[in-house]
Amino acid sequence: MNIQEYIASGILESYALGEVTDAERASLEQALKQYPEVREELKKVEETLENIAFASAIRPRAEVKEKIMAKITSSSSKPEGRIIAMTPERPVWKYATAASIAIALISSVMAIQYRQLWKADSSELALIKSENQRMAEDYNTVNQKLDKIQGDLAVMENTSFTKVVMKGTANDTNALASVYWNASTQEVYLSIQQLKAISKENQFQLWAIVNGKPIDAGVFDLNFAGMLKMKSINGAAAFAITIEPRGGKDNPTLETMQVVGSVVSNPS
Amino acid sequence: MKPPFIARAKTIEESVLIERLSRRDPTALDYLYDHYSGALYSVVLRIVRKEEVAEECLQDVFIKIWDRMVSYDPSKGRLFTWMLNIARNQAIDKTRSKEMSQGRKTDDIDNLVNRIDRQESEETPTDAIGLKELLSKLPEDQQFVIDHLYLKGFTQSELAEESGIPLGTIKTRTRMAMIELRAILNVT
Repeated sequence: MNIQEYIASGILESYALGEVTDAERASLEQALKQYPEVREELKKVEETLENIAFASAIRPRAEVKEKIMAKITSSSSKPEGRIIAMTPERPVWKYATAASIAIALISSVMAIQYRQLWKADSSELALIKSENQRMAEDYNTVNQKLDKIQGDLAVMENTSFTKVVMKGTANDTNALASVYWNASTQEVYLSIQQLKAISKENQFQLWAIVNGKPIDAGVFDLNFAGMLKMKSINGAAAFAITIEPRGGKDNPTLETMQVVGSVVSNPS
Repeated sequence: MKPPFIARAKTIEESVLIERLSRRDPTALDYLYDHYSGALYSVVLRIVRKEEVAEECLQDVFIKIWDRMVSYDPSKGRLFTWMLNIARNQAIDKTRSKEMSQGRKTDDIDNLVNRIDRQESEETPTDAIGLKELLSKLPEDQQFVIDHLYLKGFTQSELAEESGIPLGTIKTRTRMAMIELRAILNVT
């Protein structure tokens, strides 16, 4: 798992807001156990949320607290019942009254029980509704991913795009990235196979070598999957990636070059 | 310019508080309420937008916290996040129940919030900064997302649906905004 990419997706914020699917929650809880940087980042996200909530706090009316405290103390102690002594010389109508009171009591107890059953049903319904919504959300996410993959695939399959493989320099021999470049429409797409993570102050910058001079093709962070559309380039002979201060520079810092590759014209 | 700082008196260690709450010690809930009710109430009120409903909702939230304390697992997140989620879910459920079927976004909460914010500002010690001021420091697209998620009580998926912005973009924008706010709020 690419931790930086995972964090950059905003998953931790969604988790803290309670808006993740069960599957996302499970994988995140696993990541929390495994990666200290995920734990550290989640802590920051939570502290920020907490601080926002405190910055915007609104004091509820005092009665609310009284009601809550009354509820929790009454639920932990048994309510006291009053005992009424029955006298033997009680006439029959008194028993009849007692019986009707008993019936009234029993039916109210039953009414309360039915109401509770009904409440349980409606909370189940709410649960099903929210599950349904999660499914719809998942479906949307998958759909968006599919759209992106289809778009990427269209570029890869299109024969007017030339694939330029950029291999790692001495700075990072494991680095690998590719550019898909359409010489006639000048479109440039970037795909990263392996680049090392860099600090937040810096950004990667893609360069095209045109007539022996480096031309800026755009800056990027490692927070995307698949392909990234870069600036259009005309007449490229090679592509390279350097590390520059955030926002990029006009001229490349050649000592920081991570990958480079020449354009080999299409055999077609 | 002095850095914004959220003043909160904390005298009981969180782990002690959790332990006392799991033992169902009412004084611990009393303490919890005094410290967190304002933050949680604001979250609930901004979602349900009616004072009366929000008060009822806040009661349910604290009863749930009281009843479910044993299920809280500190390894999965902070106490406040756990309570925040209970509050958000309770409030969102409320807006979906029959009694709240209309009027959610038509009710004008702003008057109420202004009134309470003003009344709060006299009582709140030191220099807690208002949320509006906080948000005004964000770029517009991030402001939009946080305003809807935090002030208007949308879920990320609801916001994606209403605004037509893809859910993935909402999520990354939430993240960018939180990173900005982190700097503003001095979270290190």
